[in-house]
Amino acid sequence: MKLSYEWIKEYVDLNVSPEELADGLTMSGSEVESMSEEGNDMVMDLEITSNRPDCLSIIGLAREASAVFDEDLKMPDMGVGTETQAGDVKVGCTIKNPELCPYYTARIIKDINVKGIEGKIKDRISVLGMRPVNNVVDITNYCLIELGQPLHAFDLDKIKDGKVIIRSAKKRERITTIDGVERELQDGMLVIADAERAIAIAGIMGGIDTEVSASTKNILLESAYFDPISIRRTGRALGLSSDSSYRFERGVDKGLVKKASDRAVNIIASEAGGKVCDFIESGKIETEKTVIEIDTERIDGLLGVSIGKERIKNILNRLGLSIKEESGNKFKVGVPSFREDLKRDVDLIEELARIYGYGNIPVTINRFVPGVKRKEKPREVEEKIRDTVAALGLNEIMTYSLISDDSVRKFEALSEKAVGLSNPLSEEQKFLTPQLLDGMLKTISWNINRTNKDLELFEIGKIYSHAKGERKYGEESALCIGLTGIMRKTWKEGDKQASLYDLKGIVEALANRLKISLVFQGTKIEGLTSPTEIKLTGEKQMAGFLGGVRTTLLSEYDITQPVFICQLKLGEITEKAVLENRYRSIPRFPFSTRDVSILCDQALPAGDIIKVINDTGEEIVCSVELADVYEGKNIPDGKKSLTYSIQYGLDTRTLTDEEIEAVHEKIKAVLAKKLNVSFR
Amino acid sequence: MGILDKLEEIKQDFEKALRSCKDINRAEEIKVKFLGRKGELTGILKSLSALSEDEKREVGKKANLFKIEFTDKINKVKENLLHEKEEGKQKELDVTLPGFKPSLGTIHPISRVMSRISDIFTSLGFTVAEGPEIETEFYNFEALNIPLDHPSRDAFDTFYIEGKYLLRSHTSNVQIHIMQHQKPPMQVIMPGRVYRPDAVDASHSFMFHQVEGLMVDKGVSFSDLKGVLEVFCKSMFGEDIKTRLRPHFFPFTEPSAEVDISCIICKGQGCRVCKGNGWLEILGAGMVNPKVFEAVGYDPAEYTGYAFGMGVERIAMLLYGIEDIRLFFENDIRFLKQFV
Repeated sequence: MKLSYEWIKEYVDLNVSPEELADGLTMSGSEVESMSEEGNDMVMDLEITSNRPDCLSIIGLAREASAVFDEDLKMPDMGVGTETQAGDVKVGCTIKNPELCPYYTARIIKDINVKGIEGKIKDRISVLGMRPVNNVVDITNYCLIELGQPLHAFDLDKIKDGKVIIRSAKKRERITTIDGVERELQDGMLVIADAERAIAIAGIMGGIDTEVSASTKNILLESAYFDPISIRRTGRALGLSSDSSYRFERGVDKGLVKKASDRAVNIIASEAGGKVCDFIESGKIETEKTVIEIDTERIDGLLGVSIGKERIKNILNRLGLSIKEESGNKFKVGVPSFREDLKRDVDLIEELARIYGYGNIPVTINRFVPGVKRKEKPREVEEKIRDTVAALGLNEIMTYSLISDDSVRKFEALSEKAVGLSNPLSEEQKFLTPQLLDGMLKTISWNINRTNKDLELFEIGKIYSHAKGERKYGEESALCIGLTGIMRKTWKEGDKQASLYDLKGIVEALANRLKISLVFQGTKIEGLTSPTEIKLTGEKQMAGFLGGVRTTLLSEYDITQPVFICQLKLGEITEKAVLENRYRSIPRFPFSTRDVSILCDQALPAGDIIKVINDTGEEIVCSVELADVYEGKNIPDGKKSLTYSIQYGLDTRTLTDEEIEAVHEKIKAVLAKKLNVSFR
Repeated sequence: MGILDKLEEIKQDFEKALRSCKDINRAEEIKVKFLGRKGELTGILKSLSALSEDEKREVGKKANLFKIEFTDKINKVKENLLHEKEEGKQKELDVTLPGFKPSLGTIHPISRVMSRISDIFTSLGFTVAEGPEIETEFYNFEALNIPLDHPSRDAFDTFYIEGKYLLRSHTSNVQIHIMQHQKPPMQVIMPGRVYRPDAVDASHSFMFHQVEGLMVDKGVSFSDLKGVLEVFCKSMFGEDIKTRLRPHFFPFTEPSAEVDISCIICKGQGCRVCKGNGWLEILGAGMVNPKVFEAVGYDPAEYTGYAFGMGVERIAMLLYGIEDIRLFFENDIRFLKQFV
């Protein structure tokens, strides 16, 4: 909404500068976004919120200014000054859809002189960015801006048979609007029609055929009330918005429909001459007679300040509201037709607060709701994971949750069926991602293409799925880790390339921090090399997986170096995670370490050996650590050598060498028997 | 002087000698002086025969313990001196060479700002809660007094999934979930990811993050809201920041406000970032609309409350001076590593 400083001063005595006016309007809710000098005037551009259609007019803003600066509002002359006379053309108006148009008025003006207009009216509408057309059109625009009621003038002689019918459009009915565009209408859109065809899209734009032009002699001036929802739907469906539709869809003042017509007629008569003839009124309009009761205690309580009865009455009166009754702390307040947004006491409290000034309400800080738990566990675990993985040297990324069909397809084997959008913005953002791998690989690709090839990245994000039960869709947090390139570089020891063991080590460190026990097991997963499933010990469901990314998949992301990737769902992990654990006493008796070097088949999983050692060693084996893996010189083909350090000890006493030796030998015997290994 | 005192004196002499010992030869001399065949401690042990049986036992035990202790200490000193000698042979290190630096990971700026916001509000007594991103029209619109086919819905263009299901266009949906499951009083913030079908450019993204706040109790007032927001803005942007509330319209609050802070770049003088007016809009707020309370079954005559919401990207962009929202989701490592 554009506002002229000179124009508004016509309706309210302002002793303030344009800057002060702008500030006063902004701080009372009509935000002035910019201001510029136009000739001798200052023009402000305002953002009017959708609940305040009354402020889409100079009068409405003048009323605001009158309240803010406590000055009287001076309404323009609204009566028909010119005498009216009966016309010789019979014009009839029929409303076929009263639910979409409850009230329609038409005024006939004959023998007018359509020409360009000079002076105040032209200057004002031009200053506000409207293109002058001719006196009739310019005056309707002038009244629209002044009062907020859209008006439309038809060339009366082009209306077939003098019939004005307000009806629903016929299927595929066409109309060329005044902007020269031919538009196809749909069933349900409201039109103004004559005996033969649509002559305007109701409340949105007139038709070119009945437009007022230099040759027009007689006009029909429309002023009506249209259903806001209908106007909004039609405008959206046609992709068409106008100064009229903008106001109608927000709701115009029901009490002003006829008065605005009179005001325009008055100006047309004086500017364009002509005889003011018949006034045809169809349907009827009832203004809501809302009365709201408010209580000063409620006002004070909700705002935290006492405004005072006199100031309350003053503000309400300035805003055009009326005090119907006053008893004790209570007021009954009548709401005018131009403020249908005011429905209950809080609405009036907002009126009082914004004119009183939000800045004048004190600041208090003395409320506190005692609560034992400030965060739920999933959030705490997520924060712990983020801190841990970052502490291990990884960089957190954040990728879009919406991905393309193509990205969904790449990981079909690794994820559930994706949830799709019914109105995607583009092909690239069609599905809610069921995995975090696509985002990770895109990020790796983006960085490699910018010559940053050494990447240690992680993301904690949601993955989405179809679900059974009350909510049809599921969303679960997951962790994704991606490693590629050189992980650590020192000038002394050289570069260390990222490997699957680096990735597994990060996951193990994280498990250690969360005090959960994970099982890693080789499996088959399409798209991964050394595919490994990760489960929580004792659980059947897979919590996640890790592996190298196959080159076929890497090429799809334009990546030509090895990438290791992992995804873990956080649901089960969160449940099992222990954030604070009890202390265990430090062993009081010394432990002893024995090494064992095992020669075995290359294919034997190291995990099997550890399991045998732990199972056989019973309670005296405290830890087993892999010290070395060796293949090559002195080792037969197809074999490997594994060296383990086994720590023996008890909490209750020091073990004797004989006891340790006995168990150590037993372990070796079982290993040899069960796994067919020998010792070096 | 008794023989036991003599022993203590020897021990003190020994330790003093050891403290000033700087080379291996000297250590050997000390060893000879105290423990050698003609050494001081050896002398005591030799003179035991002149003592009574009781004294013999007592002095003998102590002298033998000292002998073990002296031997152990002198050996350790010799070992250390040997190491020192080895090291001395090496050249001095070039300390201007870079150190072996363990890499520091980084936390994404959006995560950082979200946890900073959460920390501020938890210090004010708020709890943190989350809610679903895939939502129904009821929670995203109806319960929040946003009617269908109303211009107020223009600000909330939405991605739909199927039927009544949609991707939430704001975190306000979580307010409704919480109020449905809890009785007042409550003081809670709700961070999360939201979606709107906006074409991506430097200042728009179809996906972004918000933090929502809600307090409901008996007698909560607008001045309480002002208090909390003022503390938040100062904690987030600096103590000298000024805040102002401007009347605005949100369907779910009444009265409603937009909250501005004095421009953090130009300190309110007017610059490009604040478009010359000295103020930056950073959040929306207001008193919970009684219609929202009615939708969740609270009695609006009994309870009042306030709510607020802010965009995390907007705050992060202001804090770090980031001018393009796309940087957050491109994840260029040169960008990420700046947030160490």
